[in-house]
Amino acid sequence: MAGRESNIVKIVGIENYEKIRNCKCLLVGAGGIGSELLKDLILMQFGEIHIIDLDTIDLSNLNRQFLFRQKDIKQPKSTTAVKAVSHFSNSKLIPYQGNIMDTNQFPLHWFNQFDIIFNALDNLAARRYVNKIAQFLSLPLLESGTSGFDGYIQPIIPHLTECFDCTKKETPKTFPVCTIRSTPNLPIHCIVWAKNFLFNELFASSITENNQDEQRLEDKQDWGTEDKEEIERIKQETNELHELQKIIYSKDSSKIVNILEKLFIHDIEKLLLIENLWKTREKPTSLTLEHIESSKKIDVSKLKLDQIWSLEEQIAKFINVTEILMNRYSIEKSIEFDKDDEDTLEFVVTAANIRSYIFGISMKSVFDSKQIAGNIIPAIATTNAIIAGLSSIVSLRVLNLLNYANVKKPTDINMAFTSKASNISNQRYLSNPNLSKPNCNCAVCSKVCRGVLEVSTVKLQTSTLGELIELIRTTFKYPNDVSVLDVSGQRLLADFDFDDLLDKTLEDLKLGEGDVLLFTDDEGDEDSNQFRKSLELYIAVVSDKSDDYIKLPSIEVPLIEKIEEAESNDMEEEINIATNANEETIILIDEEEALELDKQSKGKRLEREDSSDKDNIKKIRTTNTIEDDIIELD
Amino acid sequence: MSSGDSNLSADEIALYDRQIRLWGMAAQARMRSAKVLLINLGSIGTEITKNIVLSGIGNLTLLDDHTVTEEDLGSQFFLSKENVGYKRLEVTKDRIQELNPRVNLTYDVGKFKEKDAEYFKQFDLIIGTELSTLETIELNKITRRFNIPLYIAGSNGLFAYIFVDLVQFDAVDEKLKSSVPVEIGRISSNKEVIEVNVRIDEDDSKKIYEKVTTRHHYKTFEDVLQAASLKDKLNRRQLKRLSGAVPLTFAKFNLQNNQACPTSEELRKSMQAISNKFGVPVENIKDEYFEQFANQSGIEFAPVSAVIGGAVAQDVINVFGKRQSPICNFIIFDGITLDMPIYEF
Ligand SMILES: [Zn+2]
Repeated sequence: MAGRESNIVKIVGIENYEKIRNCKCLLVGAGGIGSELLKDLILMQFGEIHIIDLDTIDLSNLNRQFLFRQKDIKQPKSTTAVKAVSHFSNSKLIPYQGNIMDTNQFPLHWFNQFDIIFNALDNLAARRYVNKIAQFLSLPLLESGTSGFDGYIQPIIPHLTECFDCTKKETPKTFPVCTIRSTPNLPIHCIVWAKNFLFNELFASSITENNQDEQRLEDKQDWGTEDKEEIERIKQETNELHELQKIIYSKDSSKIVNILEKLFIHDIEKLLLIENLWKTREKPTSLTLEHIESSKKIDVSKLKLDQIWSLEEQIAKFINVTEILMNRYSIEKSIEFDKDDEDTLEFVVTAANIRSYIFGISMKSVFDSKQIAGNIIPAIATTNAIIAGLSSIVSLRVLNLLNYANVKKPTDINMAFTSKASNISNQRYLSNPNLSKPNCNCAVCSKVCRGVLEVSTVKLQTSTLGELIELIRTTFKYPNDVSVLDVSGQRLLADFDFDDLLDKTLEDLKLGEGDVLLFTDDEGDEDSNQFRKSLELYIAVVSDKSDDYIKLPSIEVPLIEKIEEAESNDMEEEINIATNANEETIILIDEEEALELDKQSKGKRLEREDSSDKDNIKKIRTTNTIEDDIIELD
Repeated sequence: MSSGDSNLSADEIALYDRQIRLWGMAAQARMRSAKVLLINLGSIGTEITKNIVLSGIGNLTLLDDHTVTEEDLGSQFFLSKENVGYKRLEVTKDRIQELNPRVNLTYDVGKFKEKDAEYFKQFDLIIGTELSTLETIELNKITRRFNIPLYIAGSNGLFAYIFVDLVQFDAVDEKLKSSVPVEIGRISSNKEVIEVNVRIDEDDSKKIYEKVTTRHHYKTFEDVLQAASLKDKLNRRQLKRLSGAVPLTFAKFNLQNNQACPTSEELRKSMQAISNKFGVPVENIKDEYFEQFANQSGIEFAPVSAVIGGAVAQDVINVFGKRQSPICNFIIFDGITLDMPIYEF
């Protein structure tokens, strides 16, 4: 055979090649890893690939996302990628611009058309979501991620190998209020102060709104101090800052000097009065009027972004950029910090640097500060290419298409992460441990079984709750005594002393597409003290089946040891620690490597690329998933 | 583009933002003045080209006289159906340049075998792909003569290799200082620590780093073929885990006739000799493994090329950027288990 398929046929054989041609892949993400995966999956001759991305193309993507050009900037990634591969593609390609977590655009049953999912995502929330979907549908998932030189791939075979949530993921750094507001000692403390506190106070939409927020949050704060005097000072300082916003409203640029005086002279002088703070710390030295005066001679147009400016230059630039923002504010009514919005970036950087100077912390260039303020994660073409390549190769084993390397049990399959590049070992380029079994404490894949209940429209109208419970009891061997919860509606449907609804049909109970039912064994087996595991069922209404069609997922619900009911927060803590310990053992595949293994380097693996454009940042804010941002605890 | 200017423009900083944050402005500027030759634009060659062009290498010369075949369409993403029958370079050059208009590209459709030694002198680094053992040995003689770093990569279906000869290379690695200080002296057969400096993080004085300069000594391909062995290098458990791809890759290098697709018998005979030399019991290599290797011999497989092309390109970038220790000196990749050990032969 001499055609584009001849190589893959030699590797998997003609029968398995046909399977690849009939295989439908879902590729979530068309960024760094996604572009590479799309290319690899096409060249492997996968029959159909659906590719989803929310983002549009940005200049800083072009150093690695090889399907995009300068002319494509601001275009959607998914559709642009599909156009860019058309010249070498022999696969059916379907692009979507959207958020994978949008249940209107992508309901659960939509996922069911796929044979395998490839994750090429840049954030934790979406990774968790797709992981959960894969568990519901028992779909194999290839999880992957990169950060600079570091990268990993993890095949996930639902119920049989570890899922994404089986190991604890690194959470972003937070800082106590006191460190940010009173006693910074690192550049990042000053940047967080300038970005999350000062910038918002000056340029957020409305003063009153801010006040309410603060009232609400005040009691919950981690102040990082017991010192009443200091807490009072911080609160008062915040109130005074609202006064400064009036200067921004005024559009009077001659008053910008007052902002400087307030922030960097008066506030620092007040801070110095709290003697407790400076017993063990170096005292800050406030700015002087001379500094401000001498900054007026400086020509800010000559300043370079990759250099560290002098204090006078920082002040001059601060005055210059505040004036610009002042004028913008009167038109835009509200300005949000965006690392790609030069004015907002330069405001934050100069304010942070002046504060750094005061506290004896080293100042940073705009280029370096941008990384911290924008939470930018370095990203390169090579790591993405390697990781996408590995993800594609291992899919052959996940789909069991290599007859000569038959997968006898899912834990025969390997995961992989960069080893040499991550300074873990000099003897191997990759570490490739076998997959682990699910973590029995994992709330996503182990504490409950999950599956889809398919039911026809007619059956929904005729089948009673009692009949459904009976079917589930006999199929999965539950005892008489079960409780049924409507998870979506947050209501109890039945348990041992509540049987009022058993004669109602599912439709009467307003159950339908997308609702989730939870079945729990309330009885257990007295002799063995074992319980049938809980079962979560997602209801999918199907229209193309016969009237009395009802189908339960083909999974097994195992018996488990009784779990004590009272689970305090302390226990959760312990579980997390246990999970961490577990994660460690996965990686200790080689005694030699155990010594070299740097604990820190693992945490870095599980990272994402930055979420680059404005829209995305706004979306992240509105959906409340600020976990990808460095946040001050407030 | 002026190669002597070490300052990056604002446009370059914006374009290369995400990688400059990793390796710094100076490394990016050094890459811009580099002159690289890539021999053969097959599947691995395509991946290497994509990666180093995107990263902003200054000058890249592609040397390839092949004509596009139907099979190439399954492993090379610069090609489309209409290109079959044309010279590879002719039909791909626009697509390569589009990746990064800042890179100076030179296309040479001459034959590798017909180039005289002087031709190679102009390059700072040479990458060879799809070369036979004899071609590799010849090329390596030339790179040694002019002291030019050499990378060689190739694949047999799911199995692949990288050979590196940087002659001698000093790399500086920076790591957080551990309780055991790094000492000067030989650390393995091909590496020695020649200098250790301590640096204290200016932002966080509690963080102390060690800057370790390691001298890497390399062997030629011919010497590696002669010297390569795993005798006394592996314990029993490691020997058991050893991928059959390791002896098989060398078995193929050692075949007298050196063709892309040796017969099964030829390969088996060579494998037996290599197993002996490597100290690997021949029964460790399962029949299925042997058959698949023979069957996939000389085949290019796109995702394997992505892994190998990614690793080669990253190492080339590191060498120019003077970041991280380079590969020293042999990698063998097994696509079934994702095993990718680095051997010091
Ligand atoms: Zn899990």
